[in-house]
Amino acid sequence: MSMQGSRMQTTGSPPLLEVASVGKSFGALAAVADVSFALRERDILGIAGPNGAGKTTLFNLITGTPFFPDSGRVTFRGTRIDRMAPHRIFRLGLARTFQKEASFANLTVEQNVSLGATYGAGLSGRARERAVDAALERLDLSAMRRQPASSLTVYGTKRLMLASAIVVGPKLLMLDEPASGLTASEVADLQSLILGFRDDGMAILLIEHILPLLFGISERVMVMDFGRKLIEGPPSEVARDQRVIDAYLGGQSEAAHALAG
Amino acid sequence: MGAIIVSGLVSGALYALVAAGLSLIWGSLGVFNFAHGVLLMTGAYAAWWISSPDGLGLGLGIGIVGALAFMVVLGLVVYLLLVRPWIGKANAELAVIMTTIAGSIFLQNLILEIFGGRYKTIDQVVTGTVAIGGTTIQAQNLLVIILAPVLLIAMWLFLTRNRTGLAIRAVAQNQDAAQLFGIGVERIYIATFSVSAVLAGVAGILLGGLFNISPDMGTDPLLRAFVVVVFGGLGSLPGTILGAYAIGMIEAFSSYYIGIYWTPVVLFVVLIGVLVVRPTGLMGRPT
Repeated sequence: MSMQGSRMQTTGSPPLLEVASVGKSFGALAAVADVSFALRERDILGIAGPNGAGKTTLFNLITGTPFFPDSGRVTFRGTRIDRMAPHRIFRLGLARTFQKEASFANLTVEQNVSLGATYGAGLSGRARERAVDAALERLDLSAMRRQPASSLTVYGTKRLMLASAIVVGPKLLMLDEPASGLTASEVADLQSLILGFRDDGMAILLIEHILPLLFGISERVMVMDFGRKLIEGPPSEVARDQRVIDAYLGGQSEAAHALAG
Repeated sequence: MGAIIVSGLVSGALYALVAAGLSLIWGSLGVFNFAHGVLLMTGAYAAWWISSPDGLGLGLGIGIVGALAFMVVLGLVVYLLLVRPWIGKANAELAVIMTTIAGSIFLQNLILEIFGGRYKTIDQVVTGTVAIGGTTIQAQNLLVIILAPVLLIAMWLFLTRNRTGLAIRAVAQNQDAAQLFGIGVERIYIATFSVSAVLAGVAGILLGGLFNISPDMGTDPLLRAFVVVVFGGLGSLPGTILGAYAIGMIEAFSSYYIGIYWTPVVLFVVLIGVLVVRPTGLMGRPT
């Protein structure tokens, strides 16, 4: 853990999320092996790596969906969550979006968000209405609230997942490739949304292939390859690291370097 | 002609009640509950035992309420013992076919052991006949024709308005995401099984008022319900209901015009024809 950012060393309180030597194998394939990192409140940690590096699997291990880690520990807000039922993890304040659209297509936009408010935050009546309204407003979905979720655009569906995630007021938001399939202006909009969530007090864990976004908003970046953590550090350092360039960045390294610098 | 339509509507209504429960479980858990037929039968026996003078003799009203309450518990037990241990494991679909068949054989023989093989009758909820448009209908038939759509509409409202109903649909669409919305999937599965078992119980009580009740009374409705679910489209509730009435009508008309022995042949020819044109059934969604 030599590459942690300065915030990590100056603050004394325990981290919000602590992942310790987590691993998961499928048969002979180690999808995630011995990965450790920590995240403090309002931190933004970006996770990069080639396809199949184990990024989404790592997310799955943290949220216990659809499987638990074989080894290691995950601690969130001081509570062990590596064997906890996923819906209880969510209720502790850890929300997540998925790479593939994972809204409930047959339900309306409002019903989608309302489910999170009902089951995740245990809200009902007026309090639930207010929370749902605020989340829809925040993600600019108020006008579409009565439409079926299936009628939304790609970015609309992404915003719906975000609305359902933030309606419970999570402490940690885990985003799995939120920018994939978006236009440049939508990516810019998404970037300001994510920074806004951070300013509201959420820590962010972000998997993203669009490197300008990842390096632009992350305070630290972790790069994974073959299920292992290759490096973790400030974006500028990570972008210069030769192993990272070899493993992943390739042709994009110039751009990443320029942005991070 | 009137009598044929009445017969088709009654069969369609009963098939819809049975198949809707089957479809609900397929839609949310992705397994077929082969014990659904014996749930129907058990519901009828529970109502008979509580109501009949040969049993507790508490009257039909308490019999129905008691039987439906019992179905909620039985749904839970079937889920916990026969389904839950295999959910999420490899080949869950096949395992649950076997466990639910085993469970249904067990329950059927348990009922046979306890109550014997002699046919029993439940009192009709309503008695007498009603004349409508020149056709005389048994009041119980009319009740079935009216009650089934009412229950199915109630179920639809539950699934589209109620928070547990919405959660059932959310789990059916994406279990992982539903969990990360804070929905406890386990509870939702239990709710699904209980709703399904209650629908089977209602069908059993209605069927028991029209015909005799016997330990194997659930076998035929279960088979028909499978045809209905495949015909209407797996996991599609509107398709299931449409399919139920279509099959009820096809049976009624072919029994009258072609003969009762040919009815299954006609039924399966139509089923095969539909599946050739639409492999996912009338309203099924491609997977």
